[in-house]
Amino acid sequence: MSSTLLLAVNSGGEEWLDLSKLPLLIISFIVLAVVVILWLMSRRGSSFTPRQIPGLRAVEDAIGRATEMARPVLYTPGWGGDIQRPTTIASMNILSQIAEKTAQYDCSLIYPTHDPVIQSVAQEVVSESYARSGFADRYRQEDIRYVSSSQFGYAAAVEGIITRTRPAAIFLLGTFEAESLIMAETGNSVGAIQIAGTDSTIQLAFFIVACDYTLIGEELFVASGYLSGDKAILASVRAQDMLKIAIAVFLVIAVAWATFAPNSGWWRF
Amino acid sequence: MVEILMSRRVAQIVCAVFGVLLFLLFFSNHPTAKAVTLTVTTQYWQVIAAFALIVGAVSFMRVNFKSMSRKQDAPFRAVGLLGMVAMPILALGWGIGGSSPFLWVFENIQAPMQSTVFALLAFFVASASLRGFRARSVPAAILLLAAVVMLLSRSWFESTTSNILMVTSDWLRNYPSMAARRAILIGIGLGSLTTSLRLIVGIERTWLGGNK
Amino acid sequence: MKKLESRHWAFLGLAVVVVATMLLNFEPKLDISPEAKRMHSFIDSLPAGSIVMVSFDHEASALPEIKPLALAFLRHAFSKGHRLVGIALMAEGTAVGYRLMDQAAAEYNKRYGVDYAFLGFQPQIIAAILSMGESIKQTFPRDYSGHEYDSLPMLREIRKLSDISAVVSIADGNLATHWIEYGRARFNVTVAAFVTAVMVTSYDPYVSSGQLRAMVGGLRGAAEYEKLIGIGGAGRRAMLAQAASHLYVLALILVGNVIYFASRARKGRG
Repeated sequence: MSSTLLLAVNSGGEEWLDLSKLPLLIISFIVLAVVVILWLMSRRGSSFTPRQIPGLRAVEDAIGRATEMARPVLYTPGWGGDIQRPTTIASMNILSQIAEKTAQYDCSLIYPTHDPVIQSVAQEVVSESYARSGFADRYRQEDIRYVSSSQFGYAAAVEGIITRTRPAAIFLLGTFEAESLIMAETGNSVGAIQIAGTDSTIQLAFFIVACDYTLIGEELFVASGYLSGDKAILASVRAQDMLKIAIAVFLVIAVAWATFAPNSGWWRF
Repeated sequence: MVEILMSRRVAQIVCAVFGVLLFLLFFSNHPTAKAVTLTVTTQYWQVIAAFALIVGAVSFMRVNFKSMSRKQDAPFRAVGLLGMVAMPILALGWGIGGSSPFLWVFENIQAPMQSTVFALLAFFVASASLRGFRARSVPAAILLLAAVVMLLSRSWFESTTSNILMVTSDWLRNYPSMAARRAILIGIGLGSLTTSLRLIVGIERTWLGGNK
Repeated sequence: MKKLESRHWAFLGLAVVVVATMLLNFEPKLDISPEAKRMHSFIDSLPAGSIVMVSFDHEASALPEIKPLALAFLRHAFSKGHRLVGIALMAEGTAVGYRLMDQAAAEYNKRYGVDYAFLGFQPQIIAAILSMGESIKQTFPRDYSGHEYDSLPMLREIRKLSDISAVVSIADGNLATHWIEYGRARFNVTVAAFVTAVMVTSYDPYVSSGQLRAMVGGLRGAAEYEKLIGIGGAGRRAMLAQAASHLYVLALILVGNVIYFASRARKGRG
């Protein structure tokens, strides 16, 4: 494999800085500057309040419902991503908040996953959340389990867990692929309240139809700050919004320029 | 020594160092830079994934043995454990090519099982459609109309109507749908960007077990 | 026995519709979409004897959709006299690709090693593509059956990706994107794709920008392609069942709306 890798890298030029990527580097530093400035502002006392997100407001109600009905909460991060994906990390952040609540309410939290690395991280996150809320003894390691790396083996396993344990609240937050509708419909059949969020625009459509609440696009990444109220995270959310406005302005200018001067290509980089 | 290496601070430093390094190496064309990037993203990852698989296999066996000892769905769990043990034995004993038992099991058991579960999607689409596509409001009615056009365009056969439906469905796919998808993708891209920055810089530490 | 709920009746109805229409064994006439025509002209435009790489980038679960697509393409390519090199960048695609290439080759009396070859599976998708860009022989020193790379006459003519006329990715996920990002962008290889229906909208932007030369998706795409090459196949046979199930789902949507508006009217009166 080493010789294969060496072969793979011997193409192209030999510059330490690829000048064709310079515009991208400059933009990256601008983005970093915006995030850091807003983070520093939050440390100096500025606060940023996100708008109300119905799916996230419903989290506490969903867990409360599960506690009243004496049924577990099921949380799964989907098959499409591994731990290095930002969506999976965002999902872990939300898991931490939800685990604190299930610990406080003494409600079972079941977490099936397709990836052993995600399983290990999730076990760490959940056990820390339980310890932080003062109920370390309520943590059960076997509830955070690896089921199968195969997509539909994982889907069938989660479907079976939902059918047997009949959770009252289901969180489908992460990167999903074709298994999304299988899980969402099965959750619906047992009468669970379902909160879903994914970065896949295809599966988002299925979740919107089948789930009670859906986090669309970057709402999934806002969730950890929204639920915890952490100022640093909310500052980075504000940075996202500012960058989005900048992109929108740039798009409008570029579209107008392309319409009236189609031969110019200054925006292409 | 082990405690120091396993501490959160060290994990954070490793995350920050590799995050910054790989970010900067992305902008380089130098063979050394490319080799380092590929080594970290492929070889290191393969090693981690291989050891993690052992963790997963042990966890799978533990959970299932525990459930079997409590007589919870014992026959089904026994089949799962048998599959987990039998496949590597078949592969190591008789190989994986041509007419090996491993390939036979894959083609006649695993592939049909996976296809069957995938096919369940069709039934779930039917039940979701019964429940989900209701014209509760104007946007919902527009969604319903778009769904009807898309379904018909894939169902109607050679005719003038079919041409009109195909043109309309292509327009829906290429303009309003693609515009919405691109907007969502921009939002997701920005969300991924700031989440990754928070991780590298150390603002977000939930993956280590908590921010505190 | 538990009382059947409305969704159970919906499932039962779908099962009846699909089974009944499959048993009818009737192939309806289809309009050919621009996407299928584009792919067909692209394959036709390649000179006879061109070497095309076929990458089986899918899982076994997608077999019912992938097999008609793959066979339609393989048959077309073999009928035009093209030579095919098969690889797999997903483990489960290996066995499927191996069998399908053998099956299609037998139909056209193609000889292994001369008209087609199957190199097998390579993990680490991006590294594999980048590596093939430098040397296919170093990436696959032996083929799937264990033959040395240079022992196969066809393979002696190709050293790296740029020696290949095109790469056709048969995918059920976003793997074809890696071919575009690395194969096309770095090594200037022409990329085309046959994908499952659910992935079609994901690849539309690449087709409209020209990064993907052509794309055919789903069972309908397979049926259209089979019609273009004048061969019957699973795609065409399944069209009536697919159309019937779509119309059935449409009927369920309408029934759902009738029930909804009727109950709203009742609440309004009450």
